[in-house]
Amino acid sequence: MSERPFMPDPSGLSTALRHALGWLVFGNLVGLYLSTLLLFPELQLGSWTYGRWVPVHLNSQLYGWTSLPLVAWLFSIYQVDSGKARAWASAAVWAWTAALALGAFQWLGAVTSGKIFLDWKGGALWAFIAAQGLLWCVLAASWREHSGGWTKLRRSATLAGLCGLALVPMSLVFAASPAVYPPVDRTTGGPTGSSLLGSSLLVVGLMLILPRVTALARPGRKSVWIWVFFGVSWLVFGVTEAMGGTHFEVHQIVSMLFLLPWVWWLPRDWAGFEWPDGSRFWRGAMFGWWGVLVVSGLLMYQAGVLDRLKFTQGLVAHSHLAMAGFTTSFCSLLLVLLTGKRIGSGFSVGVWHVATLAMIVTLATMGWREGGGPSWMLEQPVWRELGLWIRSLCGLLMFGVSVSWWMKWRML
Amino acid sequence: MRATLAVAAVYGFFLIFAQFSFVELLRGAGLGVDAEKMLLGGMAVGGIAGGFLTAWRGVSPRVARIALGVAGLVAAVAPLVSNVFGFAGIALMTGVTLGVATVCLSALLPAWCGVAWVGLGTGLGYTMCNVPAVFLQSPSGQAWIAAGFAGVGVVAMPLKAEWSEQTGGEKVFPWWGVLAIFTALVWMDSAAFFIIQHSGDLKSETWGETLLWRNAAVHLVLACGAGVWLARGGARSLPGTAWLLLAIAALTVNDESTRGISGWFYPAGVSLYSAALVAWPGWYSGAVGMRVAAWRAAWLFAIAGWFGSANGIGMAESLERVPPVFVAGAGAVVGAVMILSNRGNWRIALAVAGVVLVGWMGGISKGRETSAVVSSAAERGRKVYVSEGCIHCHSRYVRPGSADEQIWGPAPKVEEVMKGEPVIIGNRRQGPDLSNVGARRSEAWLKAHFINPRGLVADSSMPNYAHLFEDCRGADLVRYLKESGVATTAELMAQAAVWLPEANAGTADGKSLYTNNCAACHGADGRGGGAMAGNFTRPPANLVTGPFLWTAPGADHALRIARVIKYGAIGTDMPGHEVMTDAQINALTAEILRLRGEPNFRTRE
Repeated sequence: MSERPFMPDPSGLSTALRHALGWLVFGNLVGLYLSTLLLFPELQLGSWTYGRWVPVHLNSQLYGWTSLPLVAWLFSIYQVDSGKARAWASAAVWAWTAALALGAFQWLGAVTSGKIFLDWKGGALWAFIAAQGLLWCVLAASWREHSGGWTKLRRSATLAGLCGLALVPMSLVFAASPAVYPPVDRTTGGPTGSSLLGSSLLVVGLMLILPRVTALARPGRKSVWIWVFFGVSWLVFGVTEAMGGTHFEVHQIVSMLFLLPWVWWLPRDWAGFEWPDGSRFWRGAMFGWWGVLVVSGLLMYQAGVLDRLKFTQGLVAHSHLAMAGFTTSFCSLLLVLLTGKRIGSGFSVGVWHVATLAMIVTLATMGWREGGGPSWMLEQPVWRELGLWIRSLCGLLMFGVSVSWWMKWRML
Repeated sequence: MRATLAVAAVYGFFLIFAQFSFVELLRGAGLGVDAEKMLLGGMAVGGIAGGFLTAWRGVSPRVARIALGVAGLVAAVAPLVSNVFGFAGIALMTGVTLGVATVCLSALLPAWCGVAWVGLGTGLGYTMCNVPAVFLQSPSGQAWIAAGFAGVGVVAMPLKAEWSEQTGGEKVFPWWGVLAIFTALVWMDSAAFFIIQHSGDLKSETWGETLLWRNAAVHLVLACGAGVWLARGGARSLPGTAWLLLAIAALTVNDESTRGISGWFYPAGVSLYSAALVAWPGWYSGAVGMRVAAWRAAWLFAIAGWFGSANGIGMAESLERVPPVFVAGAGAVVGAVMILSNRGNWRIALAVAGVVLVGWMGGISKGRETSAVVSSAAERGRKVYVSEGCIHCHSRYVRPGSADEQIWGPAPKVEEVMKGEPVIIGNRRQGPDLSNVGARRSEAWLKAHFINPRGLVADSSMPNYAHLFEDCRGADLVRYLKESGVATTAELMAQAAVWLPEANAGTADGKSLYTNNCAACHGADGRGGGAMAGNFTRPPANLVTGPFLWTAPGADHALRIARVIKYGAIGTDMPGHEVMTDAQINALTAEILRLRGEPNFRTRE
């Protein structure tokens, strides 16, 4: 029997999702390599050291796996694939990938701004901005072509979206500048509670918009209170951010408390919509991880707890909870909503979540012990090694799962 | 499985005899460079002639087995030949039989197996040749092993072959494009291979004797991956990926600091395209029958295989490094075919080229912060700290009022920390906080630790930064770290002077603590002759006989030993062991006293 080469679906949406999964595979591979390096530093590849690979791993996940599904969502919102702009949509995705690849090349070459998740600098920064510019032009051309047939609300909202997106490149240049740094909690050297609230509210905003754009219908009663609370939350962020302070101060703790209602309110809001088949699992997984993320974040911010966990594997655990747990569930849900297809087999999805949970529990446990005194690493080399081995094994499983997902999606 | 073994046998024979053993036998006979070139040229002519002859007369399993059997006999007698005429016959016969066998195999494979099995066969062929017992064998031994491979191929090869109606027929690229792509890949591979093979420093770090098993594993995994990839419809993207891997290998092999990377990527790229090269005529050339597939194979192996290889080697003969223009040239050919074969892709090509151009104009290779614009060594060192990503493992923030201060020294002023561009607080401590490292470590210790971390700190996960000392970056970084927190030296000394370990902190194994933490400098016997002792201007102290400048005998000298263990001898090369528990420090102090032949001590009750 012969194997038939195929031509993948050339639409911008499919291309963006394929590239997203490609970056997930690459990012997971780099993550697996990093975890292995902690056990076997001799596996270092020349001058490409641990510190140079970390931004490649982090940014592959953020600007590849997490961002490209959002690009696909934009293609869907602006109906890019049903008009003349379709011809350039795939090119915009490829440009995005090329810029990210240039970034990876630069980071491995020790060229970075030195800011985590904002490592863009020099040529790669301008390349990424050029890619964003091309993407914006594709969206704008599609808006121009289609908006005449849209409702007034949709026309206005998408135009506002275009205006907002036009600011992204400039914001990136500003944020990546080494001269800019957010307020710091002087007792920990980390972000303030208000900073954490602000970054989380961006995610809340996406989760508020998603059902209103992608759900099948909304039979339930509309509520304005959720938007009122959303606005108040931003107001609290603005005030407490201006006040600054530490995690010992009430106003910073209160600002974090404003995240708690969203654990209940967002699932309730989503329950008022009708959803396509196959999305139920990912909605449940996303809100499950979301709840754990918010509650654990709130607990970890408390005096005594944050002081113990700061600078330890405990915070690495929370990062993986955010990216491998919540964000991956969000992106996978987007895949289902945008295409109607499942990301992979039930088994592979199960393995992903179990491996993610095992990695988080292991890292959190190690972090808690380490936080009691850094000598734990010396006193308990067996437990330390075991923890790192479990982490690597989980990384291997997650890499394998991501490969299986990519293999499936590249055939679509 | 039999077809897989046949592929492995033919590949193994080609690699170990035609590419290695025969060349070494020629050199061993002392025939000279000109004769060697003529004889290898004769092999190529024989290979091309054999391939076309087979395509003309028709392929069959019987012809393939006869050719492979004769090839094995020729290899077996090759070590017995000593004159130029004998070698000419060997070269010609090897070329002809290989030409016949490869064209037959390539055209017959679709009738025997799925394309994934071709990947496995290719991987096994490369793996067998990289097994140290084979690779390091004498030329004669390799010739006989190759004869054995041929024998296995003859036995394993299936006896019958018939293409079904569903076999072949797919055309992934136009035929001219296939020839161009594989010629470019073989040409670049051959040139890079020749240069690496003939430059001792490149060879030892890419496929030196200690790396053979690794290379074998990479070949096997990637070739199998190539087979699966092709089976899953990846024929269109595989050649481009192979070029990318080879390009990384070719570009990184030139620089000493990145040469280790090349050793991973080179076998990976070769395995990918080698599996595709065998599979292409039968599966992806558009051939709809064995006869057409054989003609395609004859042309492909003649132009890409024999001609491309000879050209690559010929152009690289006088070179000691792989020229980037070779890599770019091959990439341009591969890229052009991939784009021109699908007119719909021109927008993608334009967009990617535009982004790359913008990146290049924006200075993609700039940014190594060692330029003359940054004046002092410490300022340059800070840039190195940022660019090397030290923040991903080290914090530079002692939390005020926390246990950090007892371990890492005084807390800095937040306002000063926030003045940094960028701020480099960091968020994870895989290693120690470095705020006051200048007060806690000497420059000599820092340098020795960068070059050989595990030499000084057992089981350290710190990367090796020896490459930074090939230019001024290492010295700049050390200077920056030394200046960091050096102003807190007096404060740290005062802190050390009043520190008391808990007497009832628990127990620990002092001997093993000594072995892991002290022996590297002070020696296993404590007499100062450790493996790392030579890194310091002033030799590490002899802990048995002294002199004991810091811990001279006296009322509290045991406590002073404990303080030196905890905080180091500040201002000297002796580092502190800040994260040790009091129990560990007490046990280590007792061990030091034992070395000195002194009784144990008691600390604060």
